[in-house]
Amino acid sequence: MAERSFQHEINSLRLGAGEVFRGEGILAVTKALLQSGISYVGGYQGAPVSHLMDVLIDAEDLLAELGIHIEACTNEAAAAAMLGASIAYPIRGAVTWKSVVGTNVASDALSNLASPGVKGGALIIIGEDYGDGASVIQERSHAFAMKSSLWLLDPRPDLPSITAMVETGFELSEASNTPVILELRIKACHVTGQFETKDNRKAAISRLAPTGAPAAFDYGTLSHPPSTFTHEIAKVEDRLPAARRFIREHHLNEVFEGDMADIGIIVQGGLFNSLQRALLRLGLSDPFGASRIPLYCLNVTYPLIPEEVAEFCASKRAILMVEEGTPDYIEQAVGQVLRKAGLSTALFGKGCLPQAGEYTSDVLAAGLAAFLAEARPEGFDAAPATALVAQVEAHRTQAATLIEAALPGRQPGFCTGCPERPVFSALKLAQKEIGPTHISADIGCHSFGTLPPFNMGNTILGFGMSLASAAAISSNTGKRPVSIMGDGGFWHNGIISGVAGTLFNKGDGVLVILQNGYTSATGQQFMPSTLAEGHRAEQPMNIERTLRSMGVTWLKTVRSYSVGTMKKVLQEAIGSAEKGLKVIIADGECQLARQRRVKSEDAARLKAGGRVVRVRYGVDDEICSGDHSCIRLSGCPSLTIKPNPDPLRDEPVAAVIQSCVGCGLCGEVAHAAVLCPSFWRAEIIQNPSRFDLWRDRWNKRAIGWLHGRAAS
Amino acid sequence: MKPITILIGAMGGEGGGVLTDWLVEAAGAEGYAVQSTSVPGVAQRTGATNYYIEIYPTPLAQLNGQRPILALAPSVGDVDLVVATELMEAVRVVTRGYADPARTLLIASTHRVFAVAEKTAPGDGRYDEAALAQALEAGTKTRILFDMEQAAKSVGCLVNSVLLGAIAGSGILPLTPATFEAGIKAAGKAVTSNLKGFEIGLAAARGQTPAPALPDHKRPLPPSDAAERLWPRIRAELPEAAWPMAGEGVKRLIAYQDRRYAGLYLDRLGPIAAAERNAGGKGNLTRSVARLLAVRMAFEDVIRVAQLKTDPERLARIRREVGAAPGQPLVVKDFLKPGVEEICSLLPSILARPILALAHRRGWTQTLYWGREVASTGIGGHLGLWLMARLRPWRRFSHRWGEEQGEITLWLDSILAAAAISPLLALETAECARMIKGYGDTWRRGSGNFRRIRDAVLAPTLAGRWPLAFALDALANARAAAAADPDGDGLIRTLEAITAKSPG
Repeated sequence: MAERSFQHEINSLRLGAGEVFRGEGILAVTKALLQSGISYVGGYQGAPVSHLMDVLIDAEDLLAELGIHIEACTNEAAAAAMLGASIAYPIRGAVTWKSVVGTNVASDALSNLASPGVKGGALIIIGEDYGDGASVIQERSHAFAMKSSLWLLDPRPDLPSITAMVETGFELSEASNTPVILELRIKACHVTGQFETKDNRKAAISRLAPTGAPAAFDYGTLSHPPSTFTHEIAKVEDRLPAARRFIREHHLNEVFEGDMADIGIIVQGGLFNSLQRALLRLGLSDPFGASRIPLYCLNVTYPLIPEEVAEFCASKRAILMVEEGTPDYIEQAVGQVLRKAGLSTALFGKGCLPQAGEYTSDVLAAGLAAFLAEARPEGFDAAPATALVAQVEAHRTQAATLIEAALPGRQPGFCTGCPERPVFSALKLAQKEIGPTHISADIGCHSFGTLPPFNMGNTILGFGMSLASAAAISSNTGKRPVSIMGDGGFWHNGIISGVAGTLFNKGDGVLVILQNGYTSATGQQFMPSTLAEGHRAEQPMNIERTLRSMGVTWLKTVRSYSVGTMKKVLQEAIGSAEKGLKVIIADGECQLARQRRVKSEDAARLKAGGRVVRVRYGVDDEICSGDHSCIRLSGCPSLTIKPNPDPLRDEPVAAVIQSCVGCGLCGEVAHAAVLCPSFWRAEIIQNPSRFDLWRDRWNKRAIGWLHGRAAS
Repeated sequence: MKPITILIGAMGGEGGGVLTDWLVEAAGAEGYAVQSTSVPGVAQRTGATNYYIEIYPTPLAQLNGQRPILALAPSVGDVDLVVATELMEAVRVVTRGYADPARTLLIASTHRVFAVAEKTAPGDGRYDEAALAQALEAGTKTRILFDMEQAAKSVGCLVNSVLLGAIAGSGILPLTPATFEAGIKAAGKAVTSNLKGFEIGLAAARGQTPAPALPDHKRPLPPSDAAERLWPRIRAELPEAAWPMAGEGVKRLIAYQDRRYAGLYLDRLGPIAAAERNAGGKGNLTRSVARLLAVRMAFEDVIRVAQLKTDPERLARIRREVGAAPGQPLVVKDFLKPGVEEICSLLPSILARPILALAHRRGWTQTLYWGREVASTGIGGHLGLWLMARLRPWRRFSHRWGEEQGEITLWLDSILAAAAISPLLALETAECARMIKGYGDTWRRGSGNFRRIRDAVLAPTLAGRWPLAFALDALANARAAAAADPDGDGLIRTLEAITAKSPG
């Protein structure tokens, strides 16, 4: 079970012909998959496509009815390899992951999949994590499509276009024996809208109707020489022409005519709405998309259809290529088409538009103005457009000057009560004593340790890669590095590339595994060592036993909230004279997941009249010195500041607010760092037992007597 | 007709997503084309995040089958309605240029949720709230602003339903309040409290803004006879500007030690007041010293902590803070960890000195502590603290007492010397004492920094080797450096730079 419950969404997956689906883009894709008659689906979670898998895992009954096999893959390579089922069998399958990182992990399997090609439709849904809100390196997945001959769909970001592309994508895949990638940008995954649904389709071959016999041996479907040489030729001589034919015949790309016929714009489908808004602002389109400039919208960005491109450009003096990200693969290809077709149409693109960065409507408006000024379409005065863009830019500059000092950033951070925060507190305290250490950071919630107030981490090399990326550090710095890894990263990759690699090479280093039981950053999905009960039949694996059997000898498991112990163990591991890999498992359940469980358990117990102890931490505001070292060692959202109640002092003092879940970190830190005696822990006893009440009465009486005596 | 554009600035966990859903559902229910987008991802973990909504103001039924093309992100200067769950987030959206002073309506809560950088500063790192309010005033056309967080708390809902009410009441959308209420009911979660929050927002948008919270958060000590008896001295010896502070200082020191000690406090303030008078000052210096001196004289030691922890008022405060019902048993545990220095500070100097010297040599001051979790609501734990608080008379004979009084005298002397040069210099000199506070590490760091500044800046200044302007500048820089980089060596570097540039 993931962070969200998807019961409402599951109901909309059951909608039939002629009904209307309302909801998020990525869930619309999920519905479209069910309408396409898939036999299997899998993936690895990651924003912005996590919900696709989350909702399907919750929709177990529905999948059983349709006979669909679902796999919560342990990484993207596994997901890509799963598509191998469509090489030998005419069955449709879909997988999903976050790109470009997931595609990187998957690329070995993808190459080997693309080489023989597929019989059954194979669709890869990637969340292109690019631009505002992205959390990974900024690269284009487009390159993978080109190098492996995979077709790349980039539909207009509205639900009818996106869902139509899912169904057409399978047909394209089958028509050209090639796996197809459906690329969705972050905002397209989360856009809300509606589309008319069809009935869900059962596949001809599925769990409900297995073939009963494996496919016959066919060396030609193996990506092994000499078949690979045949595949290479088939890719360009058979599959590419077939794909182009299909795309052209089914009008997957769209042309919108306009009265300014001597110029045109070629745009990636995913940027269509932003371009339309830019045109609207410049007075060149209406709210319904009637652009004055002719548009050629590429809902398929790879391969291009040279004839279509040439036809669109032939009558135009100049065109603008709107292509986000770098390198400008499409622009280069369009240039080649124009050259080979002998057309003199001027090509604008990068230059009018920036080389890198997200193409927001503001960026596009500026690019359009530059293009219009250069291209000078007939009977059109570009000056007002240029003036408007200048005005917008002036407005932006003016707005920034409304405040003198820059606003402090509000980056994401560890949640209240997170079990990972105390580990960084301990590391910070340990470093105070033993000096700075090289910290090899990783992907996951714990990468928030690189942000204030911890600011820890020298490198991030990918998911589960921290230990591997520290391999050459120890010998070159003369100091033992510390690698941080989540349990998600451990199972995704770190167990092999990190632990096995270090043991095999007799490496020296410290590995801290943050065992919180879920892949938390993506929404607390289950992974191999998840202990929580779910309705799927997981087989929980044990990291400690796994490490022991691999040959790790220096291994300690520490409760992650025990800051003092953790600090000591860290110092011991870093300072130990013994060479070799030292692993510390910081054990503490993801607090978001824990709270969800505990809250309902407590509520049930309270209702039944059972004794429940609520724990809250707090600060004595008279004792707090206003130095805030406690906050510098914690950064907890529930530990904040408030005005000083002391008339003699004006610095704000620390305060714990209502959202405190009582994890105890502030007390631990106050102790471990010897901060100040202002922290307290309060246990509020709900539905007290008779003993509680008796004890409370006597304590009050005794203390009252003490103070009464003192007063008299 | 252009789409109505709405940008919501929020932080993860504040219900911005739910607010967006309510708006989308309501617009859909009334037959308008509507679209929302968001960038959740890791932003759901406490970071700043945005939601963006567009509504086309002509009902779909009147569009002859056409569908408007709606954008997935806001454009600069092109937002009709900015909604923010917190004051700084409102400013963030406005200063990024999305709002238009000639067009945009802003609906936001005025409470603050402090950013990490504001919280981690050792002194007061809070962003200037007046500047934030000014930016909103200048950057938007009209505004509905009040503390919606407080309003939400008063009815037990999140800030989002109050915001929704304000949006509904503002009339900027072609949607009726009844549709929103129906939406809240249909969503079926916390319906009663959400409807109450909605009502508050609705009323506020129609001009009935709830009264702001009382700004007075100060908790002065109650008056006492002993303190009253010292009032004539305060009036006679000190400038009027310093009376309230000195009055509070007197009460503090009587509670801390005794009336004699409060008398010493006034004895010490007298010369400062005189020096300020001579220099033509209006009482600012005396006021400032009255405050800082009281805090320094009531230095934090184990006895003081025990006094505060056993104060019956404290338990009442904690009960209020954690929301314990009357009669509900409450167990309070305190985290105490006195070290060698704290223990020695109670001993007479003749014993404390050799032990401390040994402890410093062996590094025990950093390693030797007695960590305790004391249940101060239990008679055992309380009795221990109570007995400790009873050591108050002994304090005068403790090692720490002697040390502190010596330091205070030195500090006062340097203020007097500075006052002879300039009242402003005296004020800056006095203010340096702010950095001495707290316990353990914090106290060690603060006093260390104070001594560094005294030796490197105050000494040459008071010896007349530096021109006044340079000295003032140097003092301000040094204090800022000590405040900005509490755990690093920023102050040391600044002092080196000052020394290098110094004229003498």
